[in-house]
Amino acid sequence: MLEVSRLRKVYGADPQAAPAIDDVTFSVADREFVCILGSSGCGKSTLLRCLSGLIPATSGEILLHGDPVLAPPKDMAFVFQDYSRSLLPWMTVARNVSFPLRYKGVSKEDAQKATEEALEAVGLSGRQKRYPWQLSGGMQQRVAIARALAYRPKILLMDEPFASLDAQTRFDLEDLLLDIWRRFDVTVLFITHDIDEAVYLADRVLVLEAPAKVALDVDIPLPRPRDQLKTKQLPEFAELRTRLFSAIQREPAAL
Amino acid sequence: MTLRRLTLFAQHLVVPVVLLLAFGLWSAQAEDFFFPPLTEIVRVFADNWLFDRVGSDLVPSVLRLLAGYAISVVGGVTFGVLFGMSRILRTATDPVVQFLRALPAPALIPFAMLVFGTGNSSKVFIIVLGTMWPILLNTLDGVRGVEEQQLDMARSYRIPMTARLAHIILPAASPRIFAGMRTSLGIGIILMVVSEMVASRNGIGYFVLQSQRSFEIPAMWGGVILLGLLGLTLSWIFVRVENRVLRWHRGANGLLPESDQSSKKAGSTARKNAPEVNDA
Repeated sequence: MLEVSRLRKVYGADPQAAPAIDDVTFSVADREFVCILGSSGCGKSTLLRCLSGLIPATSGEILLHGDPVLAPPKDMAFVFQDYSRSLLPWMTVARNVSFPLRYKGVSKEDAQKATEEALEAVGLSGRQKRYPWQLSGGMQQRVAIARALAYRPKILLMDEPFASLDAQTRFDLEDLLLDIWRRFDVTVLFITHDIDEAVYLADRVLVLEAPAKVALDVDIPLPRPRDQLKTKQLPEFAELRTRLFSAIQREPAAL
Repeated sequence: MTLRRLTLFAQHLVVPVVLLLAFGLWSAQAEDFFFPPLTEIVRVFADNWLFDRVGSDLVPSVLRLLAGYAISVVGGVTFGVLFGMSRILRTATDPVVQFLRALPAPALIPFAMLVFGTGNSSKVFIIVLGTMWPILLNTLDGVRGVEEQQLDMARSYRIPMTARLAHIILPAASPRIFAGMRTSLGIGIILMVVSEMVASRNGIGYFVLQSQRSFEIPAMWGGVILLGLLGLTLSWIFVRVENRVLRWHRGANGLLPESDQSSKKAGSTARKNAPEVNDA
């Protein structure tokens, strides 16, 4: 359970400055898949960085399983948008995935097992000895996801992880993520600016309004397992998408 | 492939061979005191450096160079990392670093002689004084240029500071560190020769000057040629090591031969950290 209450973040020392996040309250249940939807500049990345403990909030509270998040917690993993900048090009794929495990107190054998398993789950077995730059963008993001999986987090934070990929690769990775989410029993908090993506993936969509405030909290009761063709053909899908679209349209463009 | 390599090798040799032949033919009949016949130079070179003076002059020179260079690499990287990571240290030390780096190292040879005498330590001191700065400044820039997101990633996975240093900061800065080391290697050879010419009892620099003073011009030329060959060999070794250590960097920038590259797409990763050779 992740509980966020009255979260506020102002960059810089001046408390009167325009906040990047203004009074955000929501909670995410265990094993829930929640998408945070917002246009660019609405503070969604800042929100995720606060939740991950990478930057301190100005005020408000974040509780993960009852404990306040003040620094990156042990059972959380972060997947960044820019895979090419979060992977280490001097390490092989396998080393990239196993790198954080050594400092988590995982034994060498277990780390190797977890690495193989995670790479297998993202469809990259057999690429252990390659380097990230020898892989396509989609495969690089799979490596980043595998690294997060191998870490065995209870909650996975994803910051627009598929935004810079082409459409076909994005669909593949969306399905891969849903598959992983079920198999690994994790909670996923997924940031996106893509309405279809949010509706397709989530149990619940939070619409963020600039400066970040939760403007709308929408349940997505679409049946699972979801399918890129069938789910998106459902009339409910179109309905939800329209609803979210108009919610986003109503707020002023923040660019 | 091998044929292509052979052709490439031959193309490399054409100009040197032509120049040597031209000089050889001209010098054979020139009877110029300052430009003795090539055959004479080669003969004297073989006399001196196969292997009479290797132990007495070549080895001491190389050891001084390597000792000074090693100290500079360790010191330059250490201080470069420290200054790169701490704004306060960087700001506080900047004027001194800029002053020392602008100072021509040979200007301190008289001082080095006073303090360290005419032995090895004064030469090593001069070499360190000239070669430390390019490494330090390049390391500093490299450390500052580490991708923010790689550090965020490390923090989010709770990777301890020492491991971040060893596995993220140093590797990320390594292209710049190598750029600095390459500049410093050239400076190091120059300072080795200069310091040996001023006050010394052995070394290649000493040998070149001594030969000139005793009018052994072929021997002087032999020493000069040896210095050239030494520089070539050291930079050849350097490039080998660099290519090996920085293979990932060339790969990430799409600079590897196609066969090693395979299916790669976006390659903007390490551009930011691409080595730029800093002037000393």
